[in-house]
Amino acid sequence: MRQSTLKGALVLALLAGVAAPAGAAAPRKTSAAVAAAIPRDAQGHPDFSGIWQTLSEADYDLEPHADRRDAPPSAGVVEEGTIPYLPAALERRTKRFATRTTEDPRLKCYVLGVPRGVYYPAPFQILQRDEDLTLVHQFGNQVRVIHKDGSLHPEELHKELWLGDNRAHWEGDTLVNDVTDVNDETWLDRAGNYHSEELHVVERWSFVDKDTIRYRATLDDPKVYSRPWTIEVLLNRRRDANFRLIEDYCYTFEYADHYPHKDGQP
Amino acid sequence: MTKSLLVVAALAVATPVVAQAPEQPAAAANAGQQARPARQGQGGGINRERSFPAIASGPWKGPRTADGQPLVAGFYSNTIGNHSNFTDPQGRQPGGNERAPLGPRSERAPSRVSDPADGEIPYLPAARALQQDFAKNFSDPVKPRYVEPLARCAPAGVPKSYMWHGFEIRQYKGEVLFWFDSGWRLIHLDGDKGGKSLPEAIKLWNGDSHGHWEGNTLVVNVTNNNGKALFGRQGDFMSENATVVERYIFQPDGKRFNYVATFTDPTVYARPWTATIPVRRFTAQDKPDGWHFDVHAANAPAKPLAYEHDERICAENNGGFGGGAVGVPGAGVLIAR
Repeated sequence: MRQSTLKGALVLALLAGVAAPAGAAAPRKTSAAVAAAIPRDAQGHPDFSGIWQTLSEADYDLEPHADRRDAPPSAGVVEEGTIPYLPAALERRTKRFATRTTEDPRLKCYVLGVPRGVYYPAPFQILQRDEDLTLVHQFGNQVRVIHKDGSLHPEELHKELWLGDNRAHWEGDTLVNDVTDVNDETWLDRAGNYHSEELHVVERWSFVDKDTIRYRATLDDPKVYSRPWTIEVLLNRRRDANFRLIEDYCYTFEYADHYPHKDGQP
Repeated sequence: MTKSLLVVAALAVATPVVAQAPEQPAAAANAGQQARPARQGQGGGINRERSFPAIASGPWKGPRTADGQPLVAGFYSNTIGNHSNFTDPQGRQPGGNERAPLGPRSERAPSRVSDPADGEIPYLPAARALQQDFAKNFSDPVKPRYVEPLARCAPAGVPKSYMWHGFEIRQYKGEVLFWFDSGWRLIHLDGDKGGKSLPEAIKLWNGDSHGHWEGNTLVVNVTNNNGKALFGRQGDFMSENATVVERYIFQPDGKRFNYVATFTDPTVYARPWTATIPVRRFTAQDKPDGWHFDVHAANAPAKPLAYEHDERICAENNGGFGGGAVGVPGAGVLIAR
């Protein structure tokens, strides 16, 4: 019953091209067929190893938007529809939107942060061990370790990390990752959506099928949002023949042509 | 404590470049002291060895990963010095600045060039001239080409990544991940299964790496090099035509490995040559520091002591590693995608 309802909701969501409804905040049960088909590690937990990339338009703008010069249209991936900004924060977001074509940190190839790196449209590789997941992103220099060995966040937070402090545990076949201790330098998308150093993210990673991850992230930030809100995107396994990451240290473009021992001509 | 060291290292904004340098000898005060087994570099953590054991390739009898690799995951650092001087690792960096060598040449660590026997990279004359021109201009870089790339947060590449800060090895089915403070490398363990390199047109800071294990030795073929990282402050280099065969030869007890890499590049070198860099694994007996053992204990009450390495972000934090040549702050928009 529960499963068929879920399936129905999923089909509706797919047809409508939008994320599943907000009511799905409780952990979803993996259907028996999916549970049997997904890759698993030696302990029997889901094994997310592989190279993943979103097909969604989330990085252009998390919120619903019509087409525009720098973004394809999208119904958005925010379950609540729009991001519940506090009034002053909304004003700031509007200003950031206006300067997005020059001020988005992605344009300098900076670390994209959490959760943006996950739905930025470039591949990333998950390398999974018993004690952790390591996410190696093709874009820039981003390596994120998600600890799942029972360790806790540090006692003392410094709010200086670009990728946060990541501590995860299993809830059934869902990996629930708690992210805190971030700086306020990263954006959430190309449209100027943002957070402060008070950001707290809870990520939920689960399989839809063996080649698709359902990625959910709930963002809470009392300085910026009036209440927590949730996004959901699907991540697709890159199955192109012999596909692998190719380093993209694009922050070196400014000076790369001067090496080795050259005068700026490629 | 460790955290604050890390923060200093990670931020490093406005910090005088010299204060960041991890492996400075204690300047003139140390020069000429009586010989000791090793010398402690400023910044702690690493004992600067003046000699190191050879390690023979052979069978591996130690523990293994689930997919059968020798289990070598952990934190490592080289044991002789940083990238100031490739052929005289405990000698001066170019420019005759304040750093004194660690004693007379005969008491310092040998050249990283283990073949040819004279310890010199066998450059073709035009390539030697380029290297010398860089060295001459390093301490006062009047052109962008004279700024040592690590000072601008560029990936340290092959082989400089193994002679700078500490690094971590992580192992997975079919892959070995090297996680440096200045980037990452994935070694695809398909080198003995016909794993194909990327198309020749693609040139990369860290190259494209395919490897396999031969007993205690990880053998890696590195192609698609862009040659941009240089080997350090003397301007030693390879070009985009270079190929490298690396051998990571692990000691039977897993406490050390020697990095032995042969460089072939007919456009730069008169003949192939080999570099050897000694590397030591860090254990709980070592004191964490901000450079070679850049870790802190995990917050895991009631569990065995375990260490973690935090992210090290450079360009974003304006944390370039200068040592004479100062990094250049990034401009604005770099991509149109």
